[in-house]
Amino acid sequence: MLFCCYTQKTAFSQKLKDTLHLPEIEVKLSYSIKNYGFKQEKIDSGLLIPHLDADLSTILSQYSPIFIKSYGNGGVATTSFRGTSANHTEIEWNGISINSPMLGQSDLSQVPVSQFDGIEILYGAAGLAKTIGAFGGVVNLVTVPEWNNRINLTLAQTVASFNTYASNANIAFGNQNIQSVTKLNYSSSANDFPFYNDQTLQREKQRNGACDIGGFTEELFLRIGRKNFLSGRAWYSQDIKDIPPVTTNQNPNYIATQKDRALRSLIEWILLNPKFAITVRSAFVDQYMNYKDTSYNDNHQYYTWINKIRFNYSGIRNLSIKPGLDLTYDWVYSDAYNGAKTRSTLGLSSEFSYDVRRNVELLLIVRQDVIDGKAVPFVPAFGVDWRPFTKVNLSLAANLSKNYRYPTLNDLYWAVSGNPDLTAETDYAGELGLTYNYNNKKGTFFIESELSGYYNKMIDLIVWIPVSGGSLWKPMNVREVVSRGLDLGLNMSCNVLGFTLSLNNNYTYCRSTYEKATSPGDASVGHQVIYVPVHLFNSTLAIKYLDFSLSYNFNYVSRRYLGTDNLSFMPGYNLSNIFLGKNIKFSNIVVSLQLQINNLFNLDYQSIASIPMPGRNYGLTIRFNFKK
Amino acid sequence: MIVYRTLFSIKRLYSILSIIILIFGIFSCSKSPIRIVDPGQQPPPSSSDTSHRGVYVIDEGNFNWGNSSVTYIDLTDSVVSKNVFKSVNDKDLGDVAEGMKIFNGKGFIVVNNSNKIEVVSLPSFKSFTSITGFNSPRAIEFIDSSKAYVTNLYKDISIVDLKSLTITKTISVPNWTEGMVKFKHYVFVSCVGAYSLPNSQRRAKLIVIDSDLDKIVDSIASGKEPLEIVLDKREKIWVLCSGGYDQYEAPTLIRINPDLMIAEKIFTFPSINDAPSRLCINSLGDTLYFLKDGIFQMPVTSSAIPGTPFIPSNGHLFYGLGIDPVNGNIFVTDAVDFTQNGWVYRYNQLTGALLNSYAAERIPTSFCFPKQVAAGKKK
Repeated sequence: MLFCCYTQKTAFSQKLKDTLHLPEIEVKLSYSIKNYGFKQEKIDSGLLIPHLDADLSTILSQYSPIFIKSYGNGGVATTSFRGTSANHTEIEWNGISINSPMLGQSDLSQVPVSQFDGIEILYGAAGLAKTIGAFGGVVNLVTVPEWNNRINLTLAQTVASFNTYASNANIAFGNQNIQSVTKLNYSSSANDFPFYNDQTLQREKQRNGACDIGGFTEELFLRIGRKNFLSGRAWYSQDIKDIPPVTTNQNPNYIATQKDRALRSLIEWILLNPKFAITVRSAFVDQYMNYKDTSYNDNHQYYTWINKIRFNYSGIRNLSIKPGLDLTYDWVYSDAYNGAKTRSTLGLSSEFSYDVRRNVELLLIVRQDVIDGKAVPFVPAFGVDWRPFTKVNLSLAANLSKNYRYPTLNDLYWAVSGNPDLTAETDYAGELGLTYNYNNKKGTFFIESELSGYYNKMIDLIVWIPVSGGSLWKPMNVREVVSRGLDLGLNMSCNVLGFTLSLNNNYTYCRSTYEKATSPGDASVGHQVIYVPVHLFNSTLAIKYLDFSLSYNFNYVSRRYLGTDNLSFMPGYNLSNIFLGKNIKFSNIVVSLQLQINNLFNLDYQSIASIPMPGRNYGLTIRFNFKK
Repeated sequence: MIVYRTLFSIKRLYSILSIIILIFGIFSCSKSPIRIVDPGQQPPPSSSDTSHRGVYVIDEGNFNWGNSSVTYIDLTDSVVSKNVFKSVNDKDLGDVAEGMKIFNGKGFIVVNNSNKIEVVSLPSFKSFTSITGFNSPRAIEFIDSSKAYVTNLYKDISIVDLKSLTITKTISVPNWTEGMVKFKHYVFVSCVGAYSLPNSQRRAKLIVIDSDLDKIVDSIASGKEPLEIVLDKREKIWVLCSGGYDQYEAPTLIRINPDLMIAEKIFTFPSINDAPSRLCINSLGDTLYFLKDGIFQMPVTSSAIPGTPFIPSNGHLFYGLGIDPVNGNIFVTDAVDFTQNGWVYRYNQLTGALLNSYAAERIPTSFCFPKQVAAGKKK
């Protein structure tokens, strides 16, 4: 329990307190009340299990306020977190960045839900203790052992529309000192859904959209004595995805395929003492990507070695000091670069958290990164958290921060276009938050709510812009964007007469606007950043009764502009998805049946211009679980 | 009692649920497909007033976004009609429209990444047919009343039969061909080389096709990336070579003697970083124009490339260039940041004075000046 809590909590709340466990209510989404002025949210495995066949983009678009820009079913999916670009969200796996050092972002469609047990979402500056550059925030995918487990076997098979098949197998076994977890996933889809093509004025089937995805994780957790925890993890994945043409592409010979292979391995040692703790992580990432179409056949290979050491000293009353050291080395060989390129990053950070009184806490984060021997400017962040009432679980939070994002390796080294003179992007951010949690004494009702307002001023943003009369595109530090908005989260759950009802809602309002004209004809100033919706709302209502469950998920995405002048746009739309589930229990065995209907109202929509999306589609899952 | 209460609560639950679903259902009632909305489209003016004259602006749109369009500018009253193709035909033009040429009362719009040529009736802009089967088409040149050549990025030159409006034949060429110009029964074609290769490995040249035989009869070595090609009044052919997108070598402007099929003069630009583009010639055939940040004007008799632009860009991103065949005015487009609608500026060719500016659409790239429509031919 202690260990579980320790690893799940981020650096902000590494106080060794027990997690809140309400006996009768499943807490699937929760906001940390004690977070020193920085917002963080947790999505736990209860919410992930029905989605074992899906990828991370599905989870985030249905249950988080992060906008997912998805290029169709199974296609590239990137994030826009609080009005920032995909480069400003760091996706981590157990605290290790899985963003490509080349692109500076992750494709969420390559992250299968089955390979992790929970998600931590760190908003804005909350990510600073982990990394620099995540102006939007950090999404950390965590895997945790269950020390009381003896054997836990899950087998799941999904059959879905468009010849989609997904198989999962998980086995965890061990005792209180050693646990082994093995996860396997394989899925394939023809993805040949029908859609109406406005170009040909015909109903067509999507071409060249098939995918074939496989993955394997092995994790070994050791508990040595009461203080030492040692773990080793390896996650291998291989994706082969055909990239479908846009609706306007009439080329019958069109073909494009992307192959990705990644091996991520991580060893971790944790030492827990009453007054201090040490965490040491060392990870090695080996990733290969091949893109092939009629005229290109490009290979990209990179290796990243990530080392993170965190020390936590709480020997002084009311004060904890958490110094950290990060060392990262990237080695890239790409057909798009002239030869191999490397980058070394040294990060020195420290957090100082101070409990002024029982109900007021302060946190100071300082961070200094040195990239290839050159110091990135110093990064400070300061947060305060105040709980004004003793009986009411309400907290007020505020934070201020400065952050930098260093150019990606593509920005620097892409052949001909790369610009070695780029400087880091800068972000000045401020945030105010309010969290209110309530649960009744019987534990049959609870409400969690979180409201935060943020303001980010980002300057020197790197944008690829045409130079030399449009014949060449080069990344330049030209853009200035201000993103401000509100995130509102409201989760409720109650037990009535054997029914468990839960309702989870996220609403975000985000005005992310261009602030600087780049040329005399530029009409972008004051206009919303392209493909960032102003309003985003998702809501899930789940009802459980005995072994039956029903959940209804609703997503609304407002208009996304297609131009920096905000003239043309994709209209807002909403989607509904339904899950029906039934568990059948025989002593240690649970067999679950699940029917899923996506795009319930069969909306004919495009989220991104000229990228077709599937209409109503179905999935049927049978899951077998044996636990002892 | 318990049963009753359970039922009651199920009923209540059911009603709560149905209310919620109803609310969401109301949201979901909008059954109209979610597609690009581009306000302000209108058909081209159908005025039978032949005193009006205009120009079509081809807006290529963003690669893979499918937002190409054609803007019509009425030059007489300066009224701009946006996205005339979609407003008339109620369908998208396609992805990356490169240019348009008119033949026999029909407009042929080359839509590169949709791999087609859209044929429209003029001036109504009603879609007539789509010619398909290209390999990423770049430009069309009408050879005679029966056929046209179409250059492609990936493979071959396609021969389009102008009666059936289908591809009937191909001429095998080494990959990417771009500009074409007719001279007697020959067609001079700029040939960049294999698209997938870097410029160091491409064999750039001009190829000469005998259009009677549809066969390559000669070739002339050129600088890297020969693109636009024009014929002047002295019957000299000019080709602009960009030197390579990767700045492989300094750009060149080559003058060809088409009778002898040799390069007789090569003007080399001063810097390898120069990126000249969009070579055009006025209808008198005595002055060349091209873009190199600003707009350059160069008499065909000039012995050197001008050192300074005739019209400086002043921070605008000049992208497309055209010369009005009637009065010689210079038309240039500003693509701004390539992710918003661009502009068209019209300059006097003698004084360089800005005469007018017009709001165009996404990435305006080229112009098509229709010949004045004869009275009575209107629909």
